[in-house]
Amino acid sequence: MHIPDGFVPPHLCIVGYGLSGLITWHCIRKINRHSDPSVHMPKAALLTAAFFVASSIQIPLPPMSLHLVLSGLLGAVLGYYAFLAILIGLFFQALFLGHGGFSTLGVNAVIIGIPALVGHGLFQLRRWLPQALKPSVRLGISGFLAGAIGMALAVSLFISLLILTVPVGFDVATERAALLTLGLAHGPLVIIEGIFTALLVTFLQRTKPELLIGLVPEPVRARQPVRSTGDRLCD
Amino acid sequence: MRLTLDTYAALQSPIHRWWPRTKLVGLGLLMLGFSSVRQIQLIPVCLLVTAVLYLLSGLPWSFLRSRLRYPGLFLLGIVIALPLLSGNTLLWQWGPIAIRQEGLIAMGLIAGRFLSIVTLGMMLLGTTPLLTLIDTLVSLGLPPLMAEMALLAYRYLFDMAELLSHLRQAMRLRGFKPVGTPHSWQQLAAVIGTLLIRSYEQSERIYKAMRLRGYANSRKTLYQIKGWGQTPDIAALGLCATIALTLIGLQTIT
Repeated sequence: MHIPDGFVPPHLCIVGYGLSGLITWHCIRKINRHSDPSVHMPKAALLTAAFFVASSIQIPLPPMSLHLVLSGLLGAVLGYYAFLAILIGLFFQALFLGHGGFSTLGVNAVIIGIPALVGHGLFQLRRWLPQALKPSVRLGISGFLAGAIGMALAVSLFISLLILTVPVGFDVATERAALLTLGLAHGPLVIIEGIFTALLVTFLQRTKPELLIGLVPEPVRARQPVRSTGDRLCD
Repeated sequence: MRLTLDTYAALQSPIHRWWPRTKLVGLGLLMLGFSSVRQIQLIPVCLLVTAVLYLLSGLPWSFLRSRLRYPGLFLLGIVIALPLLSGNTLLWQWGPIAIRQEGLIAMGLIAGRFLSIVTLGMMLLGTTPLLTLIDTLVSLGLPPLMAEMALLAYRYLFDMAELLSHLRQAMRLRGFKPVGTPHSWQQLAAVIGTLLIRSYEQSERIYKAMRLRGYANSRKTLYQIKGWGQTPDIAALGLCATIALTLIGLQTIT
């Protein structure tokens, strides 16, 4: 689901870089609201490396196998760091695997990064799910939604971009059939991505729940003022 | 997974000696110029410029071949599909199989641009150590937070890949076979989860070590790549800019 070099016109590459620059600026602004933004940097960096490696795992789905994008999970775990992590991951993928491209880095970051941020938002829905449900079920549902909807959004962006850049003279019926096939072929990936995100968040909840609190920094304003030791002693 | 790229970064060639900042901007402009080409007659020019630069870089062909293996699959798909499916002007027909002129031209354009841009990208990264490249990007405005994240991720990428291979080996030794059952998916999810947890725990140790060595919330940008190099570096940048602007100009005129 990566657009390679030479496939899209230059103005689209420039728009891609512009948009990803704007989103990066917004994410860094949100991150810098934390009193010490450097606290989470090593965590975000190492999780970026782990996600990069984890996305190479082949998931069996007879008669084929596929690999996960994990954009929903990235959003759930990394919060605003997810977009930066995706940019870095895509850069490494273009560098080491020849997957994607350098001129299309911005476009690919938009295709996978925006769904990750949407996944981050969807994962927060667990707080609004009925309290009658068990916490693990609420977590599983929000994880599934983050993974599946994030992936569906990424596929929609990818196909829309293909429609925009399809060569002139392409037979209309063939074009429709090709796009329909492409959409349907990605259908199982959407479901698998949702299932895996749900499985992973429930696994993390059991074993390392602090990972799911995310690296989303609280704004400094929202923090309670620190009371001096003297005040506390007077309580 | 092959994660090394700096193998040939220590060679001595004009492209290796080219000042990183001017090299990055020059080759970036060339990539932009190549991606703007919409006339098939200009594709040989792009390929010629790329070939001359690659020869100058002294990088072996095996390096390019190994890097083109995966994207080559995409290229193969384009080469097979476009002439058969796109266009109206028939050039050759045998039963239901027909080769069309418009599809053939579109194939040439996409394949030519793709080969030129990918080769330039690989040449840039093959002739510049990754640390220098990131330093150069910071000097050109990349946020320091992203540079720190990229460097740390790159440093631990190798450890993570090794950890994953250990986890896979341990699963194989315990008789795990990847089949498409929910149980097998659950186990694979546990592997990915373990990878994330180990990286998270390691990051906490790294952060403490970094703090002990004086790392703090400092956004002072420290980079060593400054300026635009010497006259030959700037001349090479000028040449690249001229080629790129000529290519872009020819597209807008026609």
